[in-house]
Amino acid sequence: MSMIDVLIRVDAICQKYDRYDTDKHRNDAADPFSRLYADMDAAIDEAIEKSERAASEKNRAAAVTLNAGVRRAKARLMEDLVKLQKLAVKKVKGLSRDEMALRPDLVAALHHRIQSIPDGGSGGAEDQNAGGNARPGIKFDSSAETLDEGYFQTSEESEQFRREYEMRRIKQDEGLDFISEGLDTLKNLAEDMSEELDRQVPLMDEIDRKVDKASSELRKTNVRLKETVNEFRSTRNFTVDIILICIILGIGAYLYNVLNQ
Amino acid sequence: MASSSSDPEKLMAKADKLTKLSFTRWNADWKTATSLYEQAAIAYRFRKDNEKAKDAFEKASKGQEMISSPWDAAKHMESAGALAKELGLWNEVSDFYRRASEFYRECGRSQPASDALAKGASALEDKAPEEAIKLYDEACALLEDDGKEQMAFDLYRSAASLYVKLEKYSDAAGFFLRLGSAADKCNAINSQCKGYLSAIIIYLYAHDFQQAQKCYNDCSEVQAFLNSDQNRCAMKLLSAYEEGDAEEVKRAAQSNVINHLDHVVIRLAKKLPTGDLQAIKKDLAADDDRDSLDENDLT
Repeated sequence: MSMIDVLIRVDAICQKYDRYDTDKHRNDAADPFSRLYADMDAAIDEAIEKSERAASEKNRAAAVTLNAGVRRAKARLMEDLVKLQKLAVKKVKGLSRDEMALRPDLVAALHHRIQSIPDGGSGGAEDQNAGGNARPGIKFDSSAETLDEGYFQTSEESEQFRREYEMRRIKQDEGLDFISEGLDTLKNLAEDMSEELDRQVPLMDEIDRKVDKASSELRKTNVRLKETVNEFRSTRNFTVDIILICIILGIGAYLYNVLNQ
Repeated sequence: MASSSSDPEKLMAKADKLTKLSFTRWNADWKTATSLYEQAAIAYRFRKDNEKAKDAFEKASKGQEMISSPWDAAKHMESAGALAKELGLWNEVSDFYRRASEFYRECGRSQPASDALAKGASALEDKAPEEAIKLYDEACALLEDDGKEQMAFDLYRSAASLYVKLEKYSDAAGFFLRLGSAADKCNAINSQCKGYLSAIIIYLYAHDFQQAQKCYNDCSEVQAFLNSDQNRCAMKLLSAYEEGDAEEVKRAAQSNVINHLDHVVIRLAKKLPTGDLQAIKKDLAADDDRDSLDENDLT
């Protein structure tokens, strides 16, 4: 590993763990200008990194999102720049005259850096408008020079995008048609089932009534039978038992014969 | 006993002797005779001797009638009817089933009565469709009178499909409309709307656009139909017919709603449009012209 590699790596690591560097922060805590300057610096670096990612991004939708993020960051940075300018002219204790003179230059340099962050938009036009408004990204009046021939021209990419969109839409419609057919069938089945159940409700009531009647009659008969058997049994004790047992055996033998035939 | 239970001829002879009145016998013993007839009939059926079995069942039913049990009489009549169907004696089939249904009505049970008629009708569908239609009609009327229309839906559908087979389209549509009104009474909205849509389709298949239009207007008065899918489908079909656009008619007839109807009606719908749509358009145009002349003519 060469010296340069080592240096680069050390730089990256220091940058990463910068916030744990209490000495540096203690110094910064004193001076709002330097604090804000450091913050803006970090934000600019982040925005540049984002824009680089956007440039290398294959997916158009992701690229668009990243570029939008970059533009938002730039707008915020421009706001902060105004604040920084105000802070720059304020007199701060413990700072040398040269440094004070340097600050507005720093502000201007920062301004230029912010503007030069590529955001996938029309960079040239922005430079023109940058001087005027605080938010150069938003334009309401499209001037005549932008509505030139190339403006409405469909590029290859946008054509492809549109075609892909149409294809996906058609597939989605087919899928929805299929689902709707299935739902229609389900609805029909459900309605038929409900009608069938409605038809069977009075039948069930009828069955219920008849079974109740039959079971009550059966219970009555059972009670009477029990009474008779008790009466019968109590008067003659064993003979009846033996007779009944013989009868049961006889029936059993008869069934046995019948089944074995 | 074993020999007599396996020799139906002897049983029949014995039972006949019991029932024939003569000098020595003043009262016929129907009870024993009936049980003998039943045994003989079952034995004949087991032997696949349909002719004799049918006769035995008939006599058994008569016996049951004599001992005043119409339920058993009806059951025996039904068995006799089924055997007559096997033998191919079609007028006897309808006769037996009708008598069975009368016995059931005597018991006060309208559902089995209509079931008996329906069985007779389905037995006769191929060979004597006119008679079958009459039986279906009677069965439906039975249930309607007794307020049990819900059980009649299947009968309406079978009767209508039989009419369609006979190519009597207005009668078939009439049956579907009867289905609709029966369904209305029991609040079976889905069946009602399907019945109305089927009637409209049958009219269109018979190439009777005026009737179809009239039918549609009548049915639209029913609130339940107006809010249903079937109504939308009918509207699409009729407007396609009015435009005279065959493609549109075909597309409307492929609609999913139609696939839930009776399969006979689905077959008809698939064959739409029948005949010349332009002729319908001309008729419609002629009607409109007449109307507009009357409107403009202020004299």
